Amino acid sequence: MSLVLLLLAVVGAGAVLSVQAAINGRLGQSVGVLRSSLLTFVVGAVITALLIVFFEPAQAVSLMQVPKWQLSGALFGVTYMLVMVGAVPRIGAAVATVAVIVGQLGMGMLIDNFGWLGNPAIELSGSRMLAMACLALALVFMYRSNTRKA
Amino acid sequence: MQSSSMEKTATLATPKQRPGLRLLLLPLVILAGMGLSVEAGVLGPLGEQVGHLWATLSIFGVGSAILFLFTLMSGPRQGPALSELPRWQLLGSFLGPVYVVVLTLVTPLIGVGMTMIAILCGQVGKSVLIDHFGWFGATRKPVNAERWVALALIVVALVLIAGGGV
Repeated sequence: MSLVLLLLAVVGAGAVLSVQAAINGRLGQSVGVLRSSLLTFVVGAVITALLIVFFEPAQAVSLMQVPKWQLSGALFGVTYMLVMVGAVPRIGAAVATVAVIVGQLGMGMLIDNFGWLGNPAIELSGSRMLAMACLALALVFMYRSNTRKA
Repeated sequence: MQSSSMEKTATLATPKQRPGLRLLLLPLVILAGMGLSVEAGVLGPLGEQVGHLWATLSIFGVGSAILFLFTLMSGPRQGPALSELPRWQLLGSFLGPVYVVVLTLVTPLIGVGMTMIAILCGQVGKSVLIDHFGWFGATRKPVNAERWVALALIVVALVLIAGGGV
């Protein structure tokens, strides 16, 4: 699969994620953070289970056989979901998104650089650090514009 | 975990924007973003071993279980029943698997950093649009010059990282 195709898919997933954040922010306001997150995860589990039943080929290794820390991803997902559902209506989807970006990128760079969690190591280059500076600046702009409007 | 404090914040918060609360929320959201990268970093290698959909199920399965317990412990229900809400407000939950499956598939191939950059590319563009048009009931905020500068800076960052080699 080509890099461009992969990137397009991921950009699309990012757009979908931000649509979800906006819808869930609204939902969380009316029914509460916990129930809207629970709905998201239960529906996600049901959809994924359906996909597995019909489409997933048999795997040599099952979830029960991998080291338990590899199943900890959900903890971060749940935390993210709760934080976003609580934060989006208050600070705006754009500011929340940029703040997430800084965290995501910073941690992403660290994971890549050190090859943490069993990922291939990708060195932190000068252009990567420069990009982080740009993003920090972008966060400042987003936050300022958002504060003025409110 | 921040969940219980978040929930308190949610119930206590007034609809009014409060600067103090916003400054408090910002680092929390940044931490949540860091968690997303860790999640992606855990998911990628897991998906390679047990299959991408199984890895996705581990996320939603464990997440559902944890949230069910939280909901159970959080006392009486507040607000309307889910069935009383406009249907479109429930659609967000159908979008979750899209993100997680793509994450699982792509991370081992292009790295966590690159994956996150592409994710944000979609996120930022989309959420600026959501704010601008007030889609999905979000507060409508016209995209002013500062927002566009911010967006441009993000695009520059994306180009820098994509061009600088994965």
